[in-house]
Amino acid sequence: MRHALNVLVIALMSVVASPVALATEAKTAYQLGHGYRLGKTGIQLGGYVSSKLSGFSPRPWKFDVSDLSLFVSWSNGAKLNFFSELELEESISGGQEHGLSTRNAHVALERLYFDYLVNDLLAVRVGKFLTPVGQWNQIHADPLVWTTTRPVATENLFSKHATGIMLHGNIPFGEQSLDYTIYGDYSTVLDPLYETGRHENFDNALGVRLRYNVDEDLQIGLSYVDFNLLSIRGAPDIRHHLLGVDLAWTYQRLAVTSEIVYRNNNSAGNAANAWQGYIQGVGSLSKHFYAVGRYEFFEQTSNKLGQVGVLGMAYHPSPPLIWKLEYRYGVNNKDFAPDGLFASFSVLF
Amino acid sequence: MHRLHVFFRICLLIAALPVFADHQSLVIVTMKTSPLQRLSLDALKRVYLRKSLLDEKGRRWIPLNLPASDSLRVGFSLTLFNKRPEEYENYWNEQYFQGINPPEVMASEEAVLRFIAMTPGAIGYVRKGSVDKRVKILNTLIIAEPH
Repeated sequence: MRHALNVLVIALMSVVASPVALATEAKTAYQLGHGYRLGKTGIQLGGYVSSKLSGFSPRPWKFDVSDLSLFVSWSNGAKLNFFSELELEESISGGQEHGLSTRNAHVALERLYFDYLVNDLLAVRVGKFLTPVGQWNQIHADPLVWTTTRPVATENLFSKHATGIMLHGNIPFGEQSLDYTIYGDYSTVLDPLYETGRHENFDNALGVRLRYNVDEDLQIGLSYVDFNLLSIRGAPDIRHHLLGVDLAWTYQRLAVTSEIVYRNNNSAGNAANAWQGYIQGVGSLSKHFYAVGRYEFFEQTSNKLGQVGVLGMAYHPSPPLIWKLEYRYGVNNKDFAPDGLFASFSVLF
Repeated sequence: MHRLHVFFRICLLIAALPVFADHQSLVIVTMKTSPLQRLSLDALKRVYLRKSLLDEKGRRWIPLNLPASDSLRVGFSLTLFNKRPEEYENYWNEQYFQGINPPEVMASEEAVLRFIAMTPGAIGYVRKGSVDKRVKILNTLIIAEPH
């Protein structure tokens, strides 16, 4: 009896004293930039916030908390996922022409979709998603990019969003792989929140994007989309064709990205045909400081060829946080990318 | 003079040795009842980068990591990806923006084994000496573990 009691005590002591038993099984504590999980519901909350300041420009100086984005995602642990991004834009703004106010604040539904994983090579997405043209549009959140300003070529010639159906996946070839996306947009039918006043919205579109991952440091992309724009709805049926190529290359402490897009249409004139592009380099100066340089060009319908250069610095003290400061200067650029000094602070949460 | 030259070269070679001098075996493990018998290193990379979300039987992968500061995690990352865990931080930020989370982080090798023993689709890595009958071995890696 005494022997059995001793064995029991030793067994209990070994369990209680075991560092493994004391340790948390999974590291579930909240971590900045990783979102917050609601227990075992499969729901995760996250997002990012960004504030911007612009000045020394032909336009009045301006400050705003430009984006407050909330992500809600859910997975059933098997083949079904949900993701949504709701954005409060210009929640607080102020500047040379008016004091601090919330009058410009508005809510926008950036993304809302379900993904169904058919198998490991194919997923079907239904809902509203970011248009897969180039790289920047798909990772445009302020904490993920190196400049406060956005290259004209990444937003001017096509809609930033599409609503419809997408087939996507990743096909491996040994150590290389190919990301593919094929999508159709039916915003006017499927998106109850589409805004008739927003000229950049698709009316309907059909597109494809391929990205060849040569290795982890070099990716080459090709995008094509055939579309109508909402702004010319009711006008003669003008369909646009947009072709884009993009590249991302990292070498030691240097990262180079570039995108070039060309858009034409099927109308007799070619006034709306346009080439736009940029090339950007980011170099690490120290552990947390980065220098950024970018050259952009953009053909525009109402002006001569616009060109700008951007020179800036970024302070990236930890992965979710980034401070940016840059100066942009150019020619024929007042409509889309005016001169000025731009600064911002962004954080993923 | 010649001997001095040889001695100097030997000193240089020793100085040039990587800081990861201790090599050890690490095993890739999954649930005992899994129908999988083996997983290639290319497939393992895709699972840990969350490019592969389902196994060949259509079951959701649940890859597990140790904390980023754990020497076994660092060795695993250097051997499989030739990069340290922190070099993937921007990659995971971008994936997070797309609604994809990095592998779950477990507190210890024992926690990895316990989780895998109970969870279909879970996959992780532990030292060869830590493995037991609760799990099935899918592959073995020889890693250089940092001091």
